[in-house]
Amino acid sequence: MSTVPLLELRELSCRFGGLVALDRVSFAVQAGEIFGLIGPNGAGKTTLFNLISGVTAASSGELLWRGGRVGGLGPDRLNRLGIARTFQNLRLFDRLPVLDNVLVALQRRPASTPLAGLLGSARHRHGERERRERAWQLLAELGLTGLAERAAGTLAYGDRRRLELARALGTDPALLLLDEPAAGLHPAEKEALCDLIAGLRARHQLTVMVIEHHVPLLMRLCDRLAVLDFGQRIALDTPEVVRRDPRVIDAYLGGNGSPGTGAGEQR
Amino acid sequence: MIDNGLLVQMLINALLGVSVYLPLAAGQLSLATPAFYALGGTLAALLSTRWAALGVGADGSLPLPGFALELLLGGLLAGALALLLGRLVLRLQGIYLAIATIALVEITRVAILNLPFTGGAIGIFGIPQPFPRAAGYLLPALALLALAGWVCQRLEGMPLGRAMAAIRDDELAVRCLGIDTTGVKLTAFVLSAVLAGSTGALAAHFLNTWNARQGSFDASVTMLAFVVLGGSGSWLGPVLGGLLLTALPELLRPLGDARLVLFGLVILFGPALFPQGLISPALLERLGRLGERS
Repeated sequence: MSTVPLLELRELSCRFGGLVALDRVSFAVQAGEIFGLIGPNGAGKTTLFNLISGVTAASSGELLWRGGRVGGLGPDRLNRLGIARTFQNLRLFDRLPVLDNVLVALQRRPASTPLAGLLGSARHRHGERERRERAWQLLAELGLTGLAERAAGTLAYGDRRRLELARALGTDPALLLLDEPAAGLHPAEKEALCDLIAGLRARHQLTVMVIEHHVPLLMRLCDRLAVLDFGQRIALDTPEVVRRDPRVIDAYLGGNGSPGTGAGEQR
Repeated sequence: MIDNGLLVQMLINALLGVSVYLPLAAGQLSLATPAFYALGGTLAALLSTRWAALGVGADGSLPLPGFALELLLGGLLAGALALLLGRLVLRLQGIYLAIATIALVEITRVAILNLPFTGGAIGIFGIPQPFPRAAGYLLPALALLALAGWVCQRLEGMPLGRAMAAIRDDELAVRCLGIDTTGVKLTAFVLSAVLAGSTGALAAHFLNTWNARQGSFDASVTMLAFVVLGGSGSWLGPVLGGLLLTALPELLRPLGDARLVLFGLVILFGPALFPQGLISPALLERLGRLGERS
């Protein structure tokens, strides 16, 4: 592990009017790890992702990326720095073909000016070729090759989830935020997703943060876990330690002392 | 029934339809096209009458290079204004953007009405003619439409056009992919303004007279109707809408007063029968497949 964490949260808070969604949350994510985030509904998990991805601005506290302050930057700037995300309720470009959904993510590499595009310069044509090759690669990696021409809105749920992954990977991130990637998948798909995420980390040199309600999946997948409850971080450690933490059991896993059996809310 | 004059008017409205379509292709309902159209027309009218800067002959003729320069300047002026105002108005979303751009149309109209050199309510008369007959305007109008269509078509295979289409579906998701969506929307807005400005410069000469009423709220609604009836899924939609809705009142003239009723019915039932417009994505797909087979 490097000395400077990839991402660091220092006393990060987020208030919406009188509601405190996040209350002075601090932790650091090291490059290369898979970092899980759990907690009951309304604990502030998605809000935390919104802060890290720049969708929502923090009320106070600091957000550091590779040691530099990045609080207040918008989602486009943060993505260009290397932070990509998926959404809990999938935000695909439903009317565009699957291939174009990924192509949008590949806009910037290689860069192309509108004028070069209009005139069809050699550099632009080369860039388009490169973009298409890369898009097909990503589709192949996520098993979507056969669906490339279909409108994204017509895909089955599991395919839509994987398309959102392909699209996020298209921006070539260092940190990938996955907001409930297994929601709505059946058990066999959940297993496959688990392997997929681990494989993506290895192939794309990713650091992954993942919100998930399916506890067994997280226990298997994650190097470390943070637990949120009512906007506060109540635990932060390896899965083995977290699952025995009395506060976590109390807040989330149910007070019966048998965690790891898939407790918590399922949607 | 369709004379050259009507044909030119049809082409002008097709161009204005494309101008409304461009921001809409990036999900932005802007009704500012009449403001930029009025601006381009006023500039052309002033340049060729009051300021006589472009080699206007004593007989009221205008050499072609001067005319071409006016089209360019009209587009540039409108584009520059759009660049200035765009960052401001494009912060608004949906219906609020529509309202702000209607305000822009009204401000432009009132300004042109009251400026000391734009002829007040009467406007500017006797705008020099680069062509002796209406037919002469067909070529430049067609050329402008071909250019606009070419740009729209090229956009589809370019990062800019793809970003526009994606913003139309989900702007936040596009931002999370590292794209400066404000820049994309601004580009579409400026392109729309340039097209409207150039079209205005052409129309001012064609109509021979120009006044503040050319760019009114009514015009906003009419131009939007071109897009709604023709379809907003492709640039061909507003072109067809502009051509049809301009020709229809003339084609229906034999019906006498009933033609206005029928015209109204078309506007009323057109969107009900073709909710995605006459040129819908499904139709384009079918045409595409036909093209592949042949």
